This record gives sequence, structure tokens and C-alpha cells, in this order.
Amino acid sequence: MNAPVNHPVMDPRVAAPFPEAALPVLRNAQLRKNVAHATDVIQTKRNKLVAEKSDWLELRDAASAIRAHTLEHLGEYLEQFEERCTAAGGVVHWAADAEEACAIILNLLREEQASEVIKIKTMTSAEIQLNPALERAGIHAIETDLAELILQLGDDEPSHVVVPALHVNRSQVREIFARRMGLEDLKDDPQALTAAARTYLRKKFLSVPTAISGANYLIAETGGVSIVESEGNGRMCLTLPRTMIMLAGIEKVLPRFRDLEVMLQVLARSATGERMNPYTSLWTGVTPGDGPQRFHVVLLDNGRSAMLKREVERQTLKCIRCGACMNTCPVYRQTGGHAYGSVYPGPIGAILTPQLMKLEHAQTLPYASSLCGACYDVCPVKINIPEVLIELRAQVTDRERESERRFFDPIYLGMRMANSVFANAGRFKAAQRMARIALQPFTGKDGWIHKLPGTGGRWTMTRDLRGLPDQTFREWWEKREKERAQ
Amino acid sequence: MTAGSRQVVLERIRAGLAEIDGEMQTGYAELPRLYNQRGSMSVEAKLALMVERLREYDAEVVECPEAALEATIAAQIAGSGRRVLAAPAGLPKQWLAGGVDWRVDHDLSHEQIEEAEGVVTASFCGVADSGTIVLHHSPAEGRRVLTLLPDWHLCVLRASQVVETLPEYFARCTEPPRLATYISGPSATADIEMTRIKGVHGPRFLSVVLVQDDV
Repeated sequence: MNAPVNHPVMDPRVAAPFPEAALPVLRNAQLRKNVAHATDVIQTKRNKLVAEKSDWLELRDAASAIRAHTLEHLGEYLEQFEERCTAAGGVVHWAADAEEACAIILNLLREEQASEVIKIKTMTSAEIQLNPALERAGIHAIETDLAELILQLGDDEPSHVVVPALHVNRSQVREIFARRMGLEDLKDDPQALTAAARTYLRKKFLSVPTAISGANYLIAETGGVSIVESEGNGRMCLTLPRTMIMLAGIEKVLPRFRDLEVMLQVLARSATGERMNPYTSLWTGVTPGDGPQRFHVVLLDNGRSAMLKREVERQTLKCIRCGACMNTCPVYRQTGGHAYGSVYPGPIGAILTPQLMKLEHAQTLPYASSLCGACYDVCPVKINIPEVLIELRAQVTDRERESERRFFDPIYLGMRMANSVFANAGRFKAAQRMARIALQPFTGKDGWIHKLPGTGGRWTMTRDLRGLPDQTFREWWEKREKERAQ
Repeated sequence: MTAGSRQVVLERIRAGLAEIDGEMQTGYAELPRLYNQRGSMSVEAKLALMVERLREYDAEVVECPEAALEATIAAQIAGSGRRVLAAPAGLPKQWLAGGVDWRVDHDLSHEQIEEAEGVVTASFCGVADSGTIVLHHSPAEGRRVLTLLPDWHLCVLRASQVVETLPEYFARCTEPPRLATYISGPSATADIEMTRIKGVHGPRFLSVVLVQDDV
């Protein structure tokens, strides 16, 4: 089957701008079909389960308020978590950036003399590019989530935060597994493919003594942590090994155990359209005789603390990574995740990635949206994504305007002209007349403009423009007044 | 062991939040919690919902009165055709049916647990709304690995342990558990074309004995 032609670039520092990266995807009919199918299925299930929940809006309000409150007191809650996790036998590390987080984890693995490590799906580890760092140090990371395994064996990259391989269909999975697991007779039904993954990983679960995970929640009150999953690979990784290393963004903390009664209810419904995910695990430090006897938590900043200052940007960190905004987004549903050039795609990625990059990269992502607001509607923690998108667009524009080479850019030139035209009624009237004459040659018999030259072509590339009417409203009004006076 | 950039990160957070005022405790106490804290169903309806939800997850459910519990467990085991079973150290002795090669968990190795064809445990709570079984890993519920490796989990749940909503479970926790596992149906995935496949890594089969104790 059509394997990805170009390897997707997931590092925002080197990824192509969104409109450019989206083009090959838009031409790949198979990929678009896969993405449309997957997002349709999840969305339908999610909508049904949200509709049956009579207190959904109240749960959303509570979830949103808990997350906002936590961020407002982030330092206090993190210190509380650190103190209690340590008291329960865990070891807490702090990483200012991706490089430091990788170094901390590498050191821990070297102390364990690890040559292999089993992993629970963690987008944060992809954010810090942990797997390549481990490979360079001679440590092989084994992804144990089915979707992550498909991507790892297929040398592909995640395109969704919850179902990272949603762009791959069953025959593509069959091809990858048959080739990499040496199973020539493998059938392409999901049951057989899943069974193949189970057998492939079972030995690893029972023999690899070190595991790496992300975190769904850190609980300040108890120092406990939680992992939410479906397959049981998480339970394997957090129960069987001798040592467990958890990588968690600093925003993952919750004040109290009881807050899970809200977060778990909104997360499963939003993420996979289930009343509850099959397995939720909760543990506190180290428990003698049960599970890993060495437990490390690496708290990762990597640009997050810079988003705390203003409420409008801070709300980005409320995110619980349910992916509902992706499934509903008319842009994501066309392009899938790879076009975003980041492990965080979709609407949340369009606001998170540029901020993590301090707006030095990924400046096109805030524009990868029609601002329709569907993401805000479904967000279980009420992140006003369109508001943040507009704010980031303003910041991107401010930076561009200040840069010298932008002075003669047709868009900025046009904007300055427009500024002067709109400031004066006479100029505006004259401009209208001129535009009517100038656009006449491009206007078809049907009254529509189908193709414009130059910068204007970027508009007509994907849509038509209504031609200017023969008469403006003011002209019509003046004429009417004159006729009445006669 | 280094603390890494602890001070750096905390300093950045403090700088970022310098303009926020308001006290943490008060702020927390004032958070809106207008969602359903309590259920509204009758006991019968609540238990019926629990059974319905479990069956939606393809779990097998049998109901029995307290007096018939041991016989029901024995019948379920016999019906499953499994002979090698693991049991937590604290499982009531009467539940250990005859004719079974019991591996009682006095420090069983992972290999020994992996060899078992199933496991029988008690549970802490059931949440009807989502068909969730809660384990707090007490001596009768077993270590976490015990309910993970065997392919079949036979779980005893009492009617008095069933609540309607998730918040009611949290209200039943007099203090937060040190360990907990919430199980909602057998292990599953939908990673390939959103087709739900039962049984990836955890137990593929879940059976529940719902005991009609005095509620």
C-alpha cells in the first residue's frame, strides 16, 4: 500500500510552513479517507455519550475551573506534589527544557544499565524527541501502545494525540507487521493484527526491567499519579518492571484525589467516546511487594512556564489531551496531523506548538484554522481556542511588521494603502471606482472572479470571489434620493 | 542525584504568576461543583444498570444471593473450563473451589502468575453509570500484577458496593487509596480503523459475580 512518501517532519523548528506541508496530504486520497473515517467514528460516539449526560455542562464548568485554579497556583501544587511523592518513595526531577529532560532520563537508564526500555504512549516524550536521544546512546525504546507500535515499526510519526496511527488503514498495518515481525501469512483483519501485537510484546513486558511513561494526572494532595489507557500495555509497563520513569509536563498536576471524579468523566467521553476507558491506574510512590520499586518523575517545563503570565495564553495549559478538538476541526479533518509539523496537531496544536516555540517557529499554525469555534464547543476544559488563535495571529503580525524585509511585502504594502484609503471617504469612493475598473477583466460572465494574478491568487487558489457590483450602496442611495426629489 | 533545574523552573513559574492574587485554599473551596454528586435511581434500577453496562463490555455477569456465593464461584470456574487459577493471599478460604490447582499469591513470581489461566478476586466498588469495577488492591483484591497477567478475571462484587455515579465512589473513599485500578470492561483497542478489538494485553475475559447482599 502507499507508504508515506515523505517522512513527516515533527520538529517545529525545521518543519515546512503549514500551507506547504498540507499540500501533499491533500493530494493523498487514501490518507484523507483514513482520517475522515476515524474522526467521524470518534465524533459520533463522543456526541452520543455527551448527549446522554444530563450534567455535561456542569462537569465542563467544574473541569475548566479546576484546571484554571491549578494553573493559578501551579508552583504551590507542584511543590506539594514533589514533597508527597518523595515521602511515598518516589524521586522527583525538574527539567527546564527538552535537552535536560533527555539527559536526566538517560542518566537514570545508565544507572539501571538498560539496553532496552518499554514505553507507554507519551506525546511529551515525542515533544522532547526522547526516542532518537535514547537510540544515539544505544538504548532501544520499545513502544507498547498498539498505534505507537504501528508507527515505530512503520517508521512513521503520530498524527493524533489519542489515536496516533489513525491515518494508517488495516492493509497498511498488515504490510508493516508482516514485514517487521516476519509474519508472511498475517491476515489484515484488526483481530489478527492485534493478536500479532500481543504476542510480539508479551515477551518484552515480562523481560524488560525498565519502563517510561507519560502522565495523565499528578495529584498534589497525595503525591500519587494516574495513567488512563485502554489496552493494558500501560498496566504492564507500570506493574512488571523494576524501575519506572514518568515524564510529565508541569501542567499535569491536579489539586486533590477527588478532582478525578470530574476529570475522568470528561476525559473518556471526549477522547474515545466511552463512558470510561478500560483501565485507569493510580499509584503513589513505591509500594513494597507491588509494582516497580524505583519510581522517578521528571517534571518538564520546556516553554510551559512562559505561557502563565496572561490568562489568554495560560488557558492553553488547561488541556488534558483528549483530542476532541482535532476530531471536530474542519481543517484537521482534511489534512490529518502531519501537516502541523508537531506532535501536537489540530486546534490545540495550533496554539500550543507556537507558544512552546516562543513564536520563533511554527508561526503559520495560528492561521491553520477557519476560526469556526467547533473546537471551543467540544473542549471539556473550555479552552477558548479561537481567542488564543487570534491573539497569536496578532503577535505573529506584530513581529513581522517590525522586521525590515517585510516593509515591501505586498500584503503589508496593501495593508498600509488600505489604512489610508479607509481613513477618508473621498479616497474610499475613488478606490471603489478604481477597483471596479481594475477587476472588470477578471470577472466572469457569472459575476464571479475565478482567478486573480499575484498575491490575490492566494485567495482564488481555493475559492471564488464575488465580482464588484456595478453600483455601490452609496451610489444607489444617492441616485434614489435624487429621483425622489424630482 | 541532582535536583536538576528545580529552582529555575519554580522561579519562572513564580515570575509568570506574580500578578495572580487569591489564596489557594479559598480558591479551591469555591470551585463550582454543580454536577450530579449523587445518583437518583432506585437500588433495583442501579443494579440493573450495572449489569447492563458490564454486559455491553462483553463481561459475563451472574447474580446470586449471599448464601449461594461459594457454589456460584465454583460453578463459574467449572463452566470456564480453567484448572490453574491464581488467588490473592487474602481471598476468603471458602471461595477456593475444589478441583482447581490454586496458586495463592504468597510472593508468586511473574512467571507463576503468567502460567495461571485465570484469577479470582474481591473488589472495592462498582460504578453503575460507567460499568466500572474499582480495585484498591487490598489483601482480598490482590497485587496489581495478579489481575493483569491471567487471561480471565472472575471478580466478586457485592450489591452494597455498587454506586450509581463516579462521584459517589469518591465519596466512599474515606481517604485516597495508595493504589487503585479502575476496570471498565476487558482490555480493548480501537487503534486500527476504529474497530473495537477485545483483549490486547490485559485479561481478555472478565466475569462478575454480583452478590445480592442486604442493601
